[in-house]
Amino acid sequence: MRRKQAKIATDPVAFDAFYRRHVDAVTRFLARRVDDPHTVADLVAEVFVAVLDSAHTYRADLGSEIAWLYGVARKTISAERRREYRRHQLTDRVGGRRQLDTDDVARLEERIDAERHARQMFTAIAELPKGEREVLELVVVDQLTVTEAALALGIRQSTAKTRLHRARQTLKALPLVMEGTPG
Amino acid sequence: MSFEEQILMELKTEIIARAERRRRTTRRMFTGAAVAGLAAAAAIAVPLLTGSEQSAYAVSKGADGTVKVRIHEFKDVDRLERDLNAAGVQADVTYLPPGKECKDGRGKTTGRMAMGPWPDAAARLVKGGLDINPQRVGKDQTLVLEFAGDQEETAKTRKHEMLWRLTATLITGQVGPCVAVDDPTWKGRRTN
Repeated sequence: MRRKQAKIATDPVAFDAFYRRHVDAVTRFLARRVDDPHTVADLVAEVFVAVLDSAHTYRADLGSEIAWLYGVARKTISAERRREYRRHQLTDRVGGRRQLDTDDVARLEERIDAERHARQMFTAIAELPKGEREVLELVVVDQLTVTEAALALGIRQSTAKTRLHRARQTLKALPLVMEGTPG
Repeated sequence: MSFEEQILMELKTEIIARAERRRRTTRRMFTGAAVAGLAAAAAIAVPLLTGSEQSAYAVSKGADGTVKVRIHEFKDVDRLERDLNAAGVQADVTYLPPGKECKDGRGKTTGRMAMGPWPDAAARLVKGGLDINPQRVGKDQTLVLEFAGDQEETAKTRKHEMLWRLTATLITGQVGPCVAVDDPTWKGRRTN
């Protein structure tokens, strides 16, 4: 049986608009997590391929597009990290990277540099329990609301609130952690 | 063209390809075929240059093992196949006139994406041609490339909605000959 295809996955015009609306936010989301321009560009492509694959899970009444998209991006990047790990373990890095011209690289490096505080933040919160860390990431680093973060993670809003509260309590003991991060 | 625009172009191609696959068959087995239908406007970004002095194509090898094919003219397939083979890519290339396609069922498809923007595809469209990762083409597999259309934009083809289209498939084992048939999805004249 075939699931109903969402419009953004079947209509190039609808997809075009969706892509242009969000490509910048997705690039920044990835630049907060990965510091290599080529990998960021490849991941942008992968996130939007994943959008085509999972467009049927998007429901406008559940919340904002960006929250859903960050949820997709999170899954993509963790798939990428697993692959990366496997690659380093088993073989040399395989070729087949996106071709970037110097302008692309310069622009990506700028963004990656602009997001360096966010990446420091990830290091600082690495010790938090996974559930708390995930909520904190999306709220503090990616600037989602608690409701959106819950949607992106597929958890209840009340759960997200509790976890965020706990994470913030823990981080109070580490005053330097929040320095230089947005929000 | 910025990388964002290039990704967008690849993805729109993919959306068209997926619609095509859904239309052709409901069996998921056939997800091995990626059809790149390019509107004439988009094809400007993929200039398959012509010129009296250069050969029809160029095959080179990147430091990371990527085989780069740059196509200037849709001709000399036999030599192109030989050169690709020498570079480590078993390939079957066909050039078809506009509005034609090879009949389905040239061999056993692998179910893997042959061409696309993601890292595990065997080939990706780049400016002027294709980058192929030979490691993604298995030992007993052939990368089947079917180009249909005109390689360059002329006063005549500019009026066409579609300049050329590339269908890429990975086939395991024997590859059957291309039987050219009419392509019902080909967009000839521009409607406006």
